[in-house]
Amino acid sequence: MHDIHDTQALLDVRKLSAGYAGNQVLDDVQFHLLRGEVVTLLGRNGAGKSTTLKCLMGFIAEKTGSITFEGQPIVRCPPEQIARLGMAYCPEERGIFSQLSVRENLLLPPVLRDGGLSLDEVYALFPNLRERSASQGTKLSGGEQQMLAIGRILRTGAKTLLLDEPSEGLAPVIVKLIARTVLELKRRGFTILLVEQNLRFAAELADRHYVMETGRVVDMLTREDMQRDTGRVEAYLGMGHA
Amino acid sequence: MLESLGLLSPALFGQLLLGLINGSFYAMMSLGLAIIFGLLNVVNFAHGAQYMMGAFTAWMLLQWAGIPYGWALLLAPLIVGLSGVVLERLFVRRLYHLDHVYGLLLTFGITLIVEGLYRKAFGSAGLPYANPMPGGLRTGLGYLPYYRLWALLASLLICLATWYLIEKTRLGAYLRAAIERPDLVRSFGINVPRMVTLVYGFGVGLAGLAGVFAAPIYNVSPTMGSNLIVVIFAVVVIGGMGSIKGAIVTGYLLGLTEGLVRYYYPPLSDTVVFIIMSAVLLIKPAGLFGKGAIAQHASTALDSKPRRMPQWRAPFRWAFLALALAALATVPFVLYPVFLVKVLCFAVAASAVNLLLGYMGVLSFGHAMFFGFAAYVAGYLAKVWGVTPELAILGATLVATALGAVVGLLAIRLQGIYFAMSTLALAQMVYFFCLQAPFTHGEDGIQDIPRGMAFGVWDLKSDLSVYFFVLLVCGAALLMVARLVHSPYGRIVAAVRDSEPRAVSLGYNANRIKLSVFVFSAAITGLAGATKAIAVQIATLTDVGWHMSGELLLMTLVGGLGTIVGPIVGALALISMQTYMSELQDWVTVAQGLVFCVVVLAFRGGIVGSLAGSWRRPSQPSARQVLTPAAEPTIR
Repeated sequence: MHDIHDTQALLDVRKLSAGYAGNQVLDDVQFHLLRGEVVTLLGRNGAGKSTTLKCLMGFIAEKTGSITFEGQPIVRCPPEQIARLGMAYCPEERGIFSQLSVRENLLLPPVLRDGGLSLDEVYALFPNLRERSASQGTKLSGGEQQMLAIGRILRTGAKTLLLDEPSEGLAPVIVKLIARTVLELKRRGFTILLVEQNLRFAAELADRHYVMETGRVVDMLTREDMQRDTGRVEAYLGMGHA
Repeated sequence: MLESLGLLSPALFGQLLLGLINGSFYAMMSLGLAIIFGLLNVVNFAHGAQYMMGAFTAWMLLQWAGIPYGWALLLAPLIVGLSGVVLERLFVRRLYHLDHVYGLLLTFGITLIVEGLYRKAFGSAGLPYANPMPGGLRTGLGYLPYYRLWALLASLLICLATWYLIEKTRLGAYLRAAIERPDLVRSFGINVPRMVTLVYGFGVGLAGLAGVFAAPIYNVSPTMGSNLIVVIFAVVVIGGMGSIKGAIVTGYLLGLTEGLVRYYYPPLSDTVVFIIMSAVLLIKPAGLFGKGAIAQHASTALDSKPRRMPQWRAPFRWAFLALALAALATVPFVLYPVFLVKVLCFAVAASAVNLLLGYMGVLSFGHAMFFGFAAYVAGYLAKVWGVTPELAILGATLVATALGAVVGLLAIRLQGIYFAMSTLALAQMVYFFCLQAPFTHGEDGIQDIPRGMAFGVWDLKSDLSVYFFVLLVCGAALLMVARLVHSPYGRIVAAVRDSEPRAVSLGYNANRIKLSVFVFSAAITGLAGATKAIAVQIATLTDVGWHMSGELLLMTLVGGLGTIVGPIVGALALISMQTYMSELQDWVTVAQGLVFCVVVLAFRGGIVGSLAGSWRRPSQPSARQVLTPAAEPTIR
């Protein structure tokens, strides 16, 4: 499965190891993303999915291995430099700034490159945000906060998005809206790496799925694999017994 | 009309004007302090020293380079700000991932170094700075000097501009966002570490600018910032840290209040800010403009996990004990007994500080008030009332206990750094009380305190007998501290330190435990101060000043936080330094500052902590937060 390393890979992660306070969390993580793909990282709690995203964005400084993004090695880069290469990150806890209004939250990230959405385009994707543009960011509902967190990084011109569990804790209607948004963004040429635990959500969106277990990537499934053999993933996630 | 009512006399007008100008300095300073704290998570103790540097830079520019006031207004803040940038890059940056306490202590050390150097270079008398705008307006209300009018208007403008910059501009939005989530703001492509450096430089530059404004009004002197910083801390506690507007409004209000009090009741003018602070602490601990409760974890990142000393087998332990006792008995025949007496007293006081910081994770920056005040009381009891030394010590200890209870009740609800700042401010109040109260004899202190006859039979006249008396008292105090730490109650204290919510959820009343330990610590410190006053026969202002609080902390840190032996070793080290370097005077302060910085930056276990650590597990790496990038402030 790893022999399809494409020289065209937009993001290529090899032998990535990292940890917190002496506890190793990632152990030889290996995967890649092609331009325009939607890919998920699946796995149970504590498998290292969120940590992988944090490594990619440069939040975790102490790591070994190689990460290549847009042809550049970024394993030693600080977050602000990685951002300028066109990567953006939406954290699991959404990270809405309580000091700023919805509009200010949306306008906060500076536009770093061409090709980002305009404010109106973001509002068109998430009409709720337009209605609430003057509210304090943290006064929004969970779903609106998630829209805001995603909408906020679309203006910057980053074309590679790292989304950490965007469907978590949301009502089914909102999950559907988020899914539609992800597909729309894919249509517009964004490359998206999702961390997910919601299998149906993931299966609907992604071109490929990597399965993580105890800090390693243990399997890779294409969309077809997923449809043909759901049991394979469910076994990893321990859902078969439920 | 006001004048006809006798409400606004020219003298009152002058005081109000000066009060407003002081208020604008308070506002500018607490503004800088608030931004720096928000973004860097560091309470910049050096702010007062940097204010002083601003004034001196203006003075040097004028005297040495002939650069006039107008240019100094621009250059001096820039130079001071640059020095701040260098400081941040080299040192402050290394502490972001640690507890606030270390930032405060590092900048305290820097303050000592800077003040010591300036005192060495310029003397402490103060130098005049010629008024660049002589003359003034005669108004119906009173005489209005041009320069004061200018200083008032200019600093008001600066405050408003800073407020606008932070609250209304894009740059300010980055800043406010970075205070909440520095990591996310970085992921938007903004170089937060650089912003942090610049913000520190900016805040420090503001302090420098305030110094330039102050130079023609007050004399330029190396100590001009050292009392100001404590007032600023009180302003910040009153206003609440989170709010820019709060810092400005509180600054002006307090300046004005001070002016009023200086007119109507001058003796209280130095303390009124601290009295207001106490009232605010009682009514609204988060400060007038603070938002909600201040919730910070007690020092989880402190390097003070109490290490057990290596356990010797029983026969060795007895042999060691016998050896130690023999050494204690013979050492006064070798070394000067009064020196040893000092070491013992300070060792006790430092272990009381250690009890709070090392075992309870609470930094008290005001223990000098217990130490010094008890010294005064003991001196007064022994000299004026003529009571026996043990009764004088007992009485003074009781007074210190009562003082500790009052201070503790006021401050204990505050967490972390706010606790440190409020204890510092409360101690300053006690300092001013001691400066003005008649029984302390002001600058002279109480001298020639009679040592008397302990228990009516033990003549303490000779240095040798006083040594054994002090050894007895201090030995008992140290045993009490050690006993408390290793008792089941000490375990509860440790539990409160490690996780206050957890301890509360288990049914312990964390505040009551903290309060009782604080009062105990105050009592022990008072005991040490009283014993010192009797044995060394003098009680002075030095014993109550905030430098003394700093010294006690330094002893604790140098010796090793959270160890029983550490404070003793630390006291020995520091008192030796003072005694044997005393002819170097100001260099001692500089050296102390250096020691502070080195210990905080590189040596947080202290002497004993490092020794014990290397003894027990030479190869095991310490479980620091190795993964937090040094450049990234972790701000909750």
